[in-house]
Amino acid sequence: MSDSTKIGRTLLHTRRRMSDESFITLLVASVAVGLFLFASILVPNFFQLQNMLNLVTNNWAVISLGVGVTFLLVSGNFDLSVGGIVALSGVLAVWFSQSAGGGSALSTGLGFPYWLAVIGALGGALAIGALNALFVVRFRIPSIIVTLGTMMLARGFAQVITQGSQRNTNLPDVFGMLGNLTVFGASVKLPVVLMVILLVIAVFIEKKTVFGRLTYWIGANAVAARLSGIDKDRHVTYLYLFSSAIAGIVGILLASEFKSGYSNRGTLMEFDALVIALLGGVAIAGGFGSVVGMFFGALILAVVTSAATGLVLSPDWQYILKAIAVFVAILTQTWALARRNR
Amino acid sequence: MMSQSSTLAQPPATRGVRVAHFLRNYYIYFVLVAVVALLSVANLDKFDLFERGNFLNEKSIINILRVSAPLLTLAGAFTLLMVSGYIDLSVGSTMSLSAVIYALLAINGVPFLAAFAITMVAGAGLGAFNGFLVVRLKITPVIATLITLSLFKGMALLLVQDGVSAIKSGGGQKMPGWFNSYGREGTLLNLPMAFWVAVAVTLVLVIAQNRTLLGKYAAATGGNPTAAKLSGINTGKIVILLYVIVGVSAALAGIARSSFMSLGDPLSGDGMELTAILVVLLGGTAFSGGEGRVLRSFVGALIIMALTVGMLTVVPAYYQTLVLGAVLLAAAASNHLISRKETAS
Amino acid sequence: MTDQSQSPVLSVEALTKDYPGVRAVDDVSFSIESSTVHCLVGENGAGKSTLIKMLTGALQPTSGRMKVRGSAYEPGNPHDAREGGIATLFQELHVVDELTVLENLTLGMERSRFGFLVKSDLDDRVVQTLAAIEPSIDPSARVSSLSVAQKQIIEIARAASSGASVIIMDEPTAALSEREVARLFGVIRRLRETDVTVVYISHKLDEIFELGDAVTVLRDGKHIVTKPLSDVAGRSELIEMMIGRNVFQDYTPRTAVTNEAVLIARGLTNKLLKDVSFEINRGEIVGFYGLVGAGKTEIARALFGADKVSGSILFKGQKVGNSPKEAIAAGIALVPEERRTQGLFTSLTIRENIPVMNLKRLSNRGVFRSSVELEAADEYVGKLNIATSSIDKYAEKLSGGNQQKIVLAKCLFADADLLLLDEPTRGVDVGAKAEIYDIIRSMADEGNSVAVFSSELEEVLGICDRIFLLFDGSLETEVINGPDVDAAHILNVVTGGRGGAVQ
Repeated sequence: MSDSTKIGRTLLHTRRRMSDESFITLLVASVAVGLFLFASILVPNFFQLQNMLNLVTNNWAVISLGVGVTFLLVSGNFDLSVGGIVALSGVLAVWFSQSAGGGSALSTGLGFPYWLAVIGALGGALAIGALNALFVVRFRIPSIIVTLGTMMLARGFAQVITQGSQRNTNLPDVFGMLGNLTVFGASVKLPVVLMVILLVIAVFIEKKTVFGRLTYWIGANAVAARLSGIDKDRHVTYLYLFSSAIAGIVGILLASEFKSGYSNRGTLMEFDALVIALLGGVAIAGGFGSVVGMFFGALILAVVTSAATGLVLSPDWQYILKAIAVFVAILTQTWALARRNR
Repeated sequence: MMSQSSTLAQPPATRGVRVAHFLRNYYIYFVLVAVVALLSVANLDKFDLFERGNFLNEKSIINILRVSAPLLTLAGAFTLLMVSGYIDLSVGSTMSLSAVIYALLAINGVPFLAAFAITMVAGAGLGAFNGFLVVRLKITPVIATLITLSLFKGMALLLVQDGVSAIKSGGGQKMPGWFNSYGREGTLLNLPMAFWVAVAVTLVLVIAQNRTLLGKYAAATGGNPTAAKLSGINTGKIVILLYVIVGVSAALAGIARSSFMSLGDPLSGDGMELTAILVVLLGGTAFSGGEGRVLRSFVGALIIMALTVGMLTVVPAYYQTLVLGAVLLAAAASNHLISRKETAS
Repeated sequence: MTDQSQSPVLSVEALTKDYPGVRAVDDVSFSIESSTVHCLVGENGAGKSTLIKMLTGALQPTSGRMKVRGSAYEPGNPHDAREGGIATLFQELHVVDELTVLENLTLGMERSRFGFLVKSDLDDRVVQTLAAIEPSIDPSARVSSLSVAQKQIIEIARAASSGASVIIMDEPTAALSEREVARLFGVIRRLRETDVTVVYISHKLDEIFELGDAVTVLRDGKHIVTKPLSDVAGRSELIEMMIGRNVFQDYTPRTAVTNEAVLIARGLTNKLLKDVSFEINRGEIVGFYGLVGAGKTEIARALFGADKVSGSILFKGQKVGNSPKEAIAAGIALVPEERRTQGLFTSLTIRENIPVMNLKRLSNRGVFRSSVELEAADEYVGKLNIATSSIDKYAEKLSGGNQQKIVLAKCLFADADLLLLDEPTRGVDVGAKAEIYDIIRSMADEGNSVAVFSSELEEVLGICDRIFLLFDGSLETEVINGPDVDAAHILNVVTGGRGGAVQ
């Protein structure tokens, strides 16, 4: 083969077409921007820098959870336990930190130093993740059932520890630090910064590492992945641990922000995390989707709900708007992909 | 004629398969007996739903059956849908929306039977909408019914005025007297109408499962969809019909609950989808479709209600979620082990 | 019974089916008499399955006619075919495990009033039909408790009681034990007595002589002969008609073959395999040839560690066979039997498919080296001549041949020393086939070893240096390929004629 034909061939084959994934991400991003502009026309004072920032910063918890949930969905698995884990790890962090020997049961904790309490809370979160992995990977029970069960289990533990309400007394001062720390003057809270870092790391893992690619291979065809030498069980286990660790950290930060461990914290967050992933074009069949898409999906949801608030619609509208957004998103994405690949 | 091929005797199902099948069919009844036995020796003094120190008496049993009516109404239809390989996560919201509609009708002077009928029709419509999304628009059942979970819940919330948590007497309007009696007032055997409706719904569905085309085709659709289609069965129609039946059952459950609580609460069905899944899994219904019995789910619902209500007498209420989560995981695991045994021939 | 049996129940006239570049069925005409067992034989690729697909409505003929009892028959789908009285026993069973035998037998034919099932003569009729063909099955048993063979009989009984006059059975004994085969034959004979015609497709010639009334031989898409089996002299005559005179020999002995064993397998045994032992040498292309269900795929998967079997497998002195991961690390790669479901990531692009089996080469401390991926994609698309406009095209959008080349590219990228190819050219057009053979040869010439698991005689005779012959889970014998290789002998062995010709 002469050099010239080789070059010609190289050019021919590397002529790259935008992938479906980038296409969908772009679609989702343009919808997010379009909705924002549209809302700016309808809603007075919507078009402001602070408002744009708020759309992201108010949703740091769900977006962070969305990262783990997106990875799992791409690998072909659900994780509905993240909301429960948020409650559990927050409650654990509080319980471990509360000084021993308080006035009542709910004000008496284990008196651990804060760092140990955080590690303990994270351990609790990882235990739920490990349980997810055990049931999904080892017993081969559908992940939606398993994670519904562990969602109840995690929240159940939180409720038992808080006796169905909350623990917020007898906490060391250091407990409220992490969640309320601000950086860049006083404008951005630490959890938001952590979310940004998490997003950057997640995009890097997804696009640039073998780990990320393994996730797509497993989700696209688990049988072929196994016959290509991929240890699917181990990988899915890692993903569940990863997702539960994120949820654990979110729970610890929220507990710190509110200086309380509340057993109903994070209720429905698992559904919101799933919803933003779906809005962002992640396919529940696996093998398709991206963290960036999920992020823009979160923006769509944020724009829709905050515009509704701005229009003085009753907050009850958010459920209907969420439903319509997902419905339209799913139909549009299916339609756009079918058209593009016709 | 029988003797000429006796050499070709049927290889009998292995013992493991038979045991697994027996377990799937009957274990639920043992569990029921065990739960009741457990509760009857427990110390029940703390809770005023029961006669002091005794579970097995009229008042306690009537109380449990009264609060069980919504779940008992829903369990059968939910089972049939799962048997066909589909799922409805919107049942809780359907229930809430129906409860609100029913209460609204009642408080605005619509007579009992008319309100009842209109709510059932509404439930059928909500179910049909689910069926439409799943069968016609081909949206995955989990996603489609997650969408309607949110949608129906939003509608229920919007039907209740701002600043008020539920439809109830007050502000010049008053619930009619009959509203409360359907779910609470004792009739036959001192049990309310709502309970007897639950029993009737279950009976109808047991008959439907055993004696009608619907029951058989649901099993065929869930067990082997290709075979069902090749046999000329319109599986789409079956699935839509099943969603409608689930919708109607959820509406009846909503009526029962709103009547029991004397109000139309837009959050009254929250979490019902979880309890329903729990109940049918406990009843041995396979998540993958094909396998499941209406009657077993009814018993599963009784167990869950006996457990949750009975548990209140032993441990504080905040133990409930934990115990139910553990039961869900245990039921899923044991189900799974049983079906693995059944097919390991 | 009546004079209906005088006219043929099913006939095809000048039936032709074209695929792009291939005429799979070429002007075939023959007819099948009523109440007979009519056997259809031919080498793989002779056109049997295409013919069957047209009869069952899964494919539409390019030209020609089909007739049932003298009137035109044009099924648009399998359901049409069933209405037309032609039922098929697919390899994949269409029974509902969760229902009882009786419920399965009446599925879709129930009598009902207002949706309620009503008792009718239908139940009695199907029970009688079942009792007539297999009295030992209890109609009230759940189908999940039955064996595969019994489920097959349920399907047959359902076809018979739905009024089918012709039942097509495509390799029905592939998954059955000897006893179950005997039982199935009993069923088929009783069916014939009840005026049902059976079209029986099998490679096992003994079965055909035992069971058949007439036989039709196809070769290269053409009809060779239809005649009563009583007029066929024996296995050898049948084999001769299947192979024809044109012996497809383009094998030339290769020089790269050594005597250095790289893989030694001893006593491989599982449900199907019976104590299979063999060695594969460096630089060699070996073939594993046998019928469907003879154990080829089982051996391939065992060597690759995809299924555990008892026995030992040593590759370059190292024990393998525990997991695909271990096999790949040791230098073994597999092109699996089912390309779309086992080999390919159809929803991913060519570029993303190729590197999966060699993550080491692709990673720099866990970071993905996309330049390597791009180069690999370009290199293999060029080297294997994969026809595509872009390496970012989805694997799903490619033709069967190009898809198979991508699966091959995956294995080549893995730098394997032993390549296992399970049916490497199934569903691949002629041009791509030749290219795949070239790739296999050059791979072996470079000092690697290749094992081809195939049910196509032409394939193994074309490229393999040594051929292991399999029948019913055991390795019967091996044949050294060469100009004077005896194709008839090979066919005889793999069709069950262990000790020579069986008359």
